[in-house]
Amino acid sequence: MVTVAYGSPFVPVEWLAAHGLQPLWLRPPPRRSDPEADFVAECADRDERRRLRDLASLVSTRRGVCPLAAALVDAACCAPELSAVVLTTSCDQMRYVASLLEQQPGMPVFVMNVPSTWQTEAARSLYLAELQRLSRFLVARGGTSPSLAELTRVMVQFDRARAELRQARNRLSAKAFSAALIEVREGLGGPGRRTGRAGAQDGDSARPAPSGGRSPPEVPLALAGGPLPESDCELFDWIQQAGGQIVLDATEWGERTLPRPFDVARTQRDPLGQLADAYFGAIPDVFRRPHGALYEYLERELASRQVRGLIVRRYLWCDLWHAEVAQLRAWSPVPVLDLDAAGNEESGEGRTRGRIEAFLEMLR
Amino acid sequence: MSVRARRITLDEWDRRYVELRAAGLCEPSYGGPLRRHAAAGDRRLGKLRMDNSAAALRLWNFLLTEEQRLHQARARGCRLLGTIKDLGTIPVMAYALEDVVAFYPDGAWWLPCLMENQTGLLEIADAMGVDESFCPVRAMLGAFVRRAHFPIPDLLTCSVGATCDDVSAIAQRLADLGHAILWWEVPHRRRPEPGEEAVELPGGFQAPACQVAFVRAELERVREVLQAWSGQRLTDDRLRAGIRQANRVRELLRELRRLGYGADPCPLPALEMLVAEMLAIHFCSDQQEAIGVLTVLLDEVRARAAAGQGVLPSRAVRVFWVNPVADLRVMNLLEDVGGRVCGTEYLFCHALDAIPENRPPLEALARCALADPMVGSPVDRAERICREASDFGARAVVISRIPGASHCALEGLVIGDIVRRRLGLPTVEIEVPPITDALEPSLRTRLEALVETATAAP
Repeated sequence: MVTVAYGSPFVPVEWLAAHGLQPLWLRPPPRRSDPEADFVAECADRDERRRLRDLASLVSTRRGVCPLAAALVDAACCAPELSAVVLTTSCDQMRYVASLLEQQPGMPVFVMNVPSTWQTEAARSLYLAELQRLSRFLVARGGTSPSLAELTRVMVQFDRARAELRQARNRLSAKAFSAALIEVREGLGGPGRRTGRAGAQDGDSARPAPSGGRSPPEVPLALAGGPLPESDCELFDWIQQAGGQIVLDATEWGERTLPRPFDVARTQRDPLGQLADAYFGAIPDVFRRPHGALYEYLERELASRQVRGLIVRRYLWCDLWHAEVAQLRAWSPVPVLDLDAAGNEESGEGRTRGRIEAFLEMLR
Repeated sequence: MSVRARRITLDEWDRRYVELRAAGLCEPSYGGPLRRHAAAGDRRLGKLRMDNSAAALRLWNFLLTEEQRLHQARARGCRLLGTIKDLGTIPVMAYALEDVVAFYPDGAWWLPCLMENQTGLLEIADAMGVDESFCPVRAMLGAFVRRAHFPIPDLLTCSVGATCDDVSAIAQRLADLGHAILWWEVPHRRRPEPGEEAVELPGGFQAPACQVAFVRAELERVREVLQAWSGQRLTDDRLRAGIRQANRVRELLRELRRLGYGADPCPLPALEMLVAEMLAIHFCSDQQEAIGVLTVLLDEVRARAAAGQGVLPSRAVRVFWVNPVADLRVMNLLEDVGGRVCGTEYLFCHALDAIPENRPPLEALARCALADPMVGSPVDRAERICREASDFGARAVVISRIPGASHCALEGLVIGDIVRRRLGLPTVEIEVPPITDALEPSLRTRLEALVETATAAP
């Protein structure tokens, strides 16, 4: 099956899947113990891949490059089975990553315009037009333009999977929920493998039982900010070990950016319009202008989940989240902890853990 | 042109000013010795070498009195429009209205340089969580908070979409502080797909017709707001007149660039050329006077070129410069090591292109907005750089990074690679903070190496 990688929650996974393609969430590759050996062993076209690896390496060492942007260049360059990459304009550095990748032979890249403004019909229309343009791109890469019935069927399937995942949230650890969110963005083997629908909850995936007796109760926290890839999900462990519990994952790859549940009647009548409304019309994000919907979302969710502290985790050189931190501090009804990530959490582990521990001590 | 053209220091300008006055120099209302600006805080002037012509004196005085001009405009009852992240579109609309003055608050990014970090603007931004990991445009945030520089505009517009995250984020902070902002969208410019209706943009880029239509609709939305805000009708006739005026500025600048970058020896220093080019964006808050300033400057350059006079030795190494510098001093530095600027892409080359006068005015402006090199791929931008570097006979290219600017992280990689492959020119990437004094030895070494390499090339 043709695989299309994408890395923005504003790209509807249903749209990719309905074209008969395998969506792959573009994420940083796992850290390698011997990058060169692993890499060369994986690749048939070694010279070309080595050149791409050199490019990825060059990007990662340039001052000012967002670590996630660099990691995604690495991921795109090193994924031998990719047929295409879909990126969006929601972040300046991603636009430049797209341009860089477009220059590479054999790397079809689609840059989807996601307007920053959202209060006009024109912005919604632009988003819709971009979905249609994406469709043409996908068809040119081996996809099949879906019928309305097929699109509706796929949308219902993914919508149901997300609904089940939302229901399972309280049964899962934050780390497992985060991983399940990625899965539901890919639909690998049916969304929700880790949601516990099959009753399989191992010790890592189940939400820890409420602590009793001598241990103090865990402090309910929200996590906001840019993407939190699986490779950095030890953050959840550090928070838990410090006595906190993430009850709201409002990072870019977290539940904040899940699309709004579909309206069944409208989905059958106008599935593409429903996609636009559920994604473009409903996902609150930091790049949107004005950014009020993000604050409305946080206000609602912090209150409903009785959050006592907000951790903002952002990448170094991410101007959008960085500039937002001070505003969040001024606005937030609960204390805010700012964590910057340089892309290599191992090197900053001690500092990050220390800050989390101090934050939680203060909250108790 | 009465004395030998050369670059002179501020001290030398003191004497030169006396000479000019004694010779009967007539100055506009904002005229006077450059020393007074330095005394009032623009200390960087003391580290610069400036052109010694009366035309340059007027240019510098025009630039350095913009804040006063804005305060005077407000005192006269004019409405002030701040056009953030807008390199030459909304100001054209605004200047078609009466008693409206548009200016470019982002221009505050030069204040830390001009005032040698004595403004405290960056410190204010720091305190607001917008630290040195952002572009120096963060000084704008400090300027709004301090209210000691430009007057606070009555309305702000800000283009978003395919713009740099620094400015978008900082503008949102301004909105959070209570400043009303009209956000308008410029989508990432893409190349038309096969079979898709394409539109030729000023400067040679292409865009799909649907993107032009989208931006035109956005500008229609801006027009409605401007009309309600100013209490005036912004008719197509008025817009056409505004476009003609803007084109007059652009025409002067194109001719200035043709001569200033083409003639040998170099008739006008890179520093004055940079300041002149900046007038294209928002006319330094007075469109008519901008035309006057540029006319006089062009006359001077024409006279020098005709007389074979220049401010640098003949056959200085021709260098194409990419991106504006946060520290003006660096433009001197290139010339000090034997180079000269022979062409530029200061992020607003589209503001130098003629606005089509044969199209409905908002469509013409939409085409210009989409021609912004920053809203498209850096590959497109690199192609324009290659074209102009070739036309101007460049022998080397400098890509000047703006520290912290989100677009600078990767664009240099793309542009440098394409320039080297297409033109085979030596290329160097440098980073220029607002004050480069501590870095000057290393910057000088890099520029010297570039000039030497270009000199040695066949």
